[in-house]
Amino acid sequence: MIDQFLIGLGVVLQPNILMYAFIGVFIGQLIGVLPGIGAITAISLLLPVTFYLDATTSMIMLAGIYYGSQYGGSIASILLNLPGTPSSVVTCLEGYPLAQNHRAGLALFVAAFSSFVGGMVGVAILVLAAIPMTIIALRFGAPEYAMLVILGLLAASLIGTGSQIRSFAMVVLGIALGLVGADATTGYFRFVAMPELADGISLVSLAMGLFGVSEIIRNASYRSPPGPALSIKMRDVIPTRAEARSLGFPILRGSAIGSFFGALPGTGAAIASFMAYAMERRVSRTPNKFGTGHLPGLAAPESANNAAAQTGFIPTLTLGIPGDAVMALIIGALILNGIIPGPRLMVDQPDLFWGVIASFFVGNIILLMINIPLIRFWVLLLRIPYQKLYPVIIVMICVGVYSHRTSVTDVMLTLAFGVLGYLMKNYRFEPAPVLLGFVLGPLLEDNFRRTMLLYSGDFTIFLTRPISAVLVACSTLLILFAIWSSIAVRRKPDRSPT
Amino acid sequence: MIKKLLMALPLTVALAVPSVAQEGFPDRALRIVHGFGAGGNADTVSRIMAEQMSQGLGEPVVVESRPGAGGTVASGYVTQQDPDGYTMQLMVGGHAVAAALYNELPYDSVGGYTFISTLGQFPFFVAARAGEYESIDAMIDAALANPGSLKIGHSGVGSTQHLTGELLALRTGAEFIHVPYQGGAAASTALMGGEVDIVIDTGTVLTGQAEAGVYDILAATSAERWPDMPDVPTLSETVAPGFDVVSWTAIGMPAGVDDEIAARIRSEVHAALDNPEVRDRIAALGANPGGSTGEELQALIEGQIAVWTDVIETAGIEKR
Repeated sequence: MIDQFLIGLGVVLQPNILMYAFIGVFIGQLIGVLPGIGAITAISLLLPVTFYLDATTSMIMLAGIYYGSQYGGSIASILLNLPGTPSSVVTCLEGYPLAQNHRAGLALFVAAFSSFVGGMVGVAILVLAAIPMTIIALRFGAPEYAMLVILGLLAASLIGTGSQIRSFAMVVLGIALGLVGADATTGYFRFVAMPELADGISLVSLAMGLFGVSEIIRNASYRSPPGPALSIKMRDVIPTRAEARSLGFPILRGSAIGSFFGALPGTGAAIASFMAYAMERRVSRTPNKFGTGHLPGLAAPESANNAAAQTGFIPTLTLGIPGDAVMALIIGALILNGIIPGPRLMVDQPDLFWGVIASFFVGNIILLMINIPLIRFWVLLLRIPYQKLYPVIIVMICVGVYSHRTSVTDVMLTLAFGVLGYLMKNYRFEPAPVLLGFVLGPLLEDNFRRTMLLYSGDFTIFLTRPISAVLVACSTLLILFAIWSSIAVRRKPDRSPT
Repeated sequence: MIKKLLMALPLTVALAVPSVAQEGFPDRALRIVHGFGAGGNADTVSRIMAEQMSQGLGEPVVVESRPGAGGTVASGYVTQQDPDGYTMQLMVGGHAVAAALYNELPYDSVGGYTFISTLGQFPFFVAARAGEYESIDAMIDAALANPGSLKIGHSGVGSTQHLTGELLALRTGAEFIHVPYQGGAAASTALMGGEVDIVIDTGTVLTGQAEAGVYDILAATSAERWPDMPDVPTLSETVAPGFDVVSWTAIGMPAGVDDEIAARIRSEVHAALDNPEVRDRIAALGANPGGSTGEELQALIEGQIAVWTDVIETAGIEKR
């Protein structure tokens, strides 16, 4: 496999193809920074260009846009609490507090480096274990997905920084918002107040509103915005030795979680980043530091979303099955080039298959090289006075959200969610659990009801299928552990609860 | 006298306008509206047609995506536009399904349109894991022997794929469990993983796996065998005589477009479809490129609305 990878490297290092790889990751980086405009918009705009390119070059460029956007997405999250893409929502949680503590440069460095490691781990898994991962992914049927989501919701119930009850209420709110639209099992319209809502609320609207717009409203109410004293010396950008050491395991755990979720069709980078964050909080010895600018909480989800962006290509390349909407577009580009993707792609088009994988390797290196020098530039953005920066950002958010589904309703909803997010922050409700519920709720409902349909309402199916049973056991242990630890805390009132 | 002449002038101009409009048509940009996401098949076909037609018409043709509610948002929009010949809609097979499936649509699915031409038609295929069933007959026999045991995965409730599965059940008397997935790719994954036994979807979703020997294509849903797959029997010639389901893409305009303008657009569409490069690109998306008259398109849509209305009623699918 290494041999074939080297052949692929030979393909991608041709100057012509290398240029398109660079164009791809650069555009990706750029649109990742711009709020609301995601990889989908950029790829669909560039799709006509691929009429004039061959299949390998098209795919290398389009793929570069996709994983490049994961790098870019973290930048606005850190600097402005404005997730550039849904998968960088979690990056706000630690990244933005770091920026407010005048450590934006450090946060950007850690994000870029974690992204790089995550991406490389993803590529390594793609090269070495694409086929075994495919086999595992195919074992995941409706019952497994349902139980995986339950485990995820339980694990992430700690994701907020405030009280558990408040956090839980926000997850439920997110699930409720996720109900809007056509019911996947019967097609019945739920809460469809206007036809534009028939396809549900857009994740982009919700994320941009709750995080970005609400932050702008909040800051606008300060008379003199806190202008952070900025340091852009390289010394302040690179983590200290102790900080670097604390990041090793979080990055590896994040990469592993990201690689797993990326390879499962239907999940992907956003869910992976939430799970990696929840995992870090669970295993951390200092969980109360989360939410205050804790570096491991930044590094883990950043490595996870990039690993997921790479392993997301596993089902696409090995089976010809798109795991999400972006992959569907990339496959569309292949079809337009007369290649029907399927299991024979690896055999029939080895140059394409391995060239694309090798381009990920090269692309991640390019991205790291673009990102580190740009840190100084991004930090300088913070010197722009808020009253000049924010109107521009609001306009960009509106354009970005509109471009996503060409819907004015989505723009209105984004602004409404901004007000909601502002009110929530004033009353100490966290926005992150809302998004988690919004993403996972429909996935749970869809797969649970599909399970019931497939196995004629037999609940024992969750325990008789091995992977599902393991997931149920994990969830049970998690609940037992939570009960046990709360009892343990109550018995020792002298020990402060963590 | 002069005053009278001056008063008559606007009238003369107003009377002259229609013929001038036809002679000078088009004198500004036209647009093709469609109801699906940018980058999807509908968008791609629109762009292919726009590029080609703009050459023939001598004016730019702009593609406008108005996604939502299975394309009905776009249909509601287009049917309210001025029928001046500058607004076209790229319509797909879902248009007939929506007419049957929705309780209240903000437009008339047939009367609201001036139909121009089909662009292409494509059948669905019935696929199973390789070696599972010897033939489509064997599959239907298995379904008849154990009613309610075979599972058909489809790309969403109310999709043409779903309704085609329901129609197959009605015509053969077999009982299936119809399992919805989020799109054809997810249904195909479920077939590969063994969660469902059958998937009915387009060639682009299924042929990659079939060529790799992962799936057997058991039958085509069109009345005639598909030229690209002459060995695959039709449902009509095997288990369900008279079975004929094709999906399609077409161009329509708001009702009331001047006949001459409609004819002009139709001839441009047909000219574009005669271009081998356009044919190849449409064929790459799994469709058989081919134009039609407006009447033929209308008859196709009316026929499908009747079939789907019947299927939805008989199968007890919830209307929206």
